[in-house]
Amino acid sequence: MSKRSMWSISTAALVLIPVAVGINYIGKLFAGVLKLPLWLDAIGTVLSSMLAGPVIGGLSGLINNIIYGLTMDPISFVYALTSVFIGLAAGIMAHKGWISSWGKAAVVGLVVGLTAVVISTPLNIWFWGGQTGNLWGDIVFGYVLNATKSVWLASFVDELVVDLPDKLLTVLAAYGIYRMLPKSLIHMYKNNDNIESL
Amino acid sequence: MKSMSLYVERESTVHHIDPITKLVYIAAAIALPIILPSLHTAWICMLISFVILGMGRVLTRSLPIIGFVGFILLTVVIIQGFFHVGNETVLFRLGSWPFYEEGLLFAMGITFRALNIVGAFLILVLTTKPSDLVESLVRKGLSPRIGYVLSSVFQIIPQMMATVDTITDAQRSRGMETEGKLMTRIKAFLPLIGPVVLSSLIDTKERTLALQVRGFNVKGSKTFLNEEKMYRYGSAMRWSMLAIVIGAVIWRVIA
Repeated sequence: MSKRSMWSISTAALVLIPVAVGINYIGKLFAGVLKLPLWLDAIGTVLSSMLAGPVIGGLSGLINNIIYGLTMDPISFVYALTSVFIGLAAGIMAHKGWISSWGKAAVVGLVVGLTAVVISTPLNIWFWGGQTGNLWGDIVFGYVLNATKSVWLASFVDELVVDLPDKLLTVLAAYGIYRMLPKSLIHMYKNNDNIESL
Repeated sequence: MKSMSLYVERESTVHHIDPITKLVYIAAAIALPIILPSLHTAWICMLISFVILGMGRVLTRSLPIIGFVGFILLTVVIIQGFFHVGNETVLFRLGSWPFYEEGLLFAMGITFRALNIVGAFLILVLTTKPSDLVESLVRKGLSPRIGYVLSSVFQIIPQMMATVDTITDAQRSRGMETEGKLMTRIKAFLPLIGPVVLSSLIDTKERTLALQVRGFNVKGSKTFLNEEKMYRYGSAMRWSMLAIVIGAVIWRVIA
């Protein structure tokens, strides 16, 4: 039996996308209810990448931001690209076997976080002139901008301070959930169309 | 069940315009200030977006969102005014900190552009039913499978919210603390979200079967339940916006 490519889409995986968007929504909600100093609004995207690969992860990210933009905050259309890359990065890492332990999951978290920072920084510069809209990050932005006179560096540091811890914890939370899932569920997304013969 | 869309039902010309034309407007509103990067293009485009919001009678509904964005933009004005790299001309001093003209103008540019883009998206979001938007995208060639995914989000999220309430109550009644120190609240996160995620993933299994039984994967052209609503001047509007953008490019090249 040939191994499924990480780029394929099955119906089960497609149906996973709305659930991923819902999980993102609920993650953000609980982070708000529990007054955690984070967003945790990409858990579903990362979880869907772990379950069904980078294409579904990226699609989840894209559709997530479109739905957010339509229902709550039009700014999120601007950051759709970041979400797509979060899904792609997490999906590729997961497919390469980087989700077998907490330590490896933390590495995935850092990679996803850095990807998000690299994609978001130009968007921040284009849209906000470099800021992120987060108070602490923007104080850092003002400080670095004044010290180095480099908008790119200031914006990069601003985004790094805000995004990296959030994405690291997002991936760890997604991994924690992934470990709790029953095997039958995990296999549904991986081998949906194949019939195994004994 | 709480509807989860910003759509406001009103009777106005803007509401009758088809979603594709509104999407073209968003593209034009983003493109114009990039093609002609002067402060004047930015504020004129912004004003046009706001006038259209007013014509759609949704301006008051857009104020909370514009206010939220405006607050962030205020911090942009402050930070750029004090720290912008090209700062030379001092406008005024706050204690020993000089506030500069160049930074202010730069921040004004960002403000107009950001509000223009937000305004253009708000026209689409506030005056178009999400299901209409999805349907017209599918008519224009978006895969019906993706169309299904988009529109099912609007049904699944309220369902999941109902599960969230049940699970929060259940965990509280078992004595789990959801308030208190930061560590307590962090520990409460996984037990709250875990069961919701698990039950929604198990639901997807049934949904997959239900869809496949109904021929979700069948190839061939799909028909639509609703008749297509065409706005009479839609294509004229799209072509004239395209003409304006091309005109702007020519203007930029010549002048």
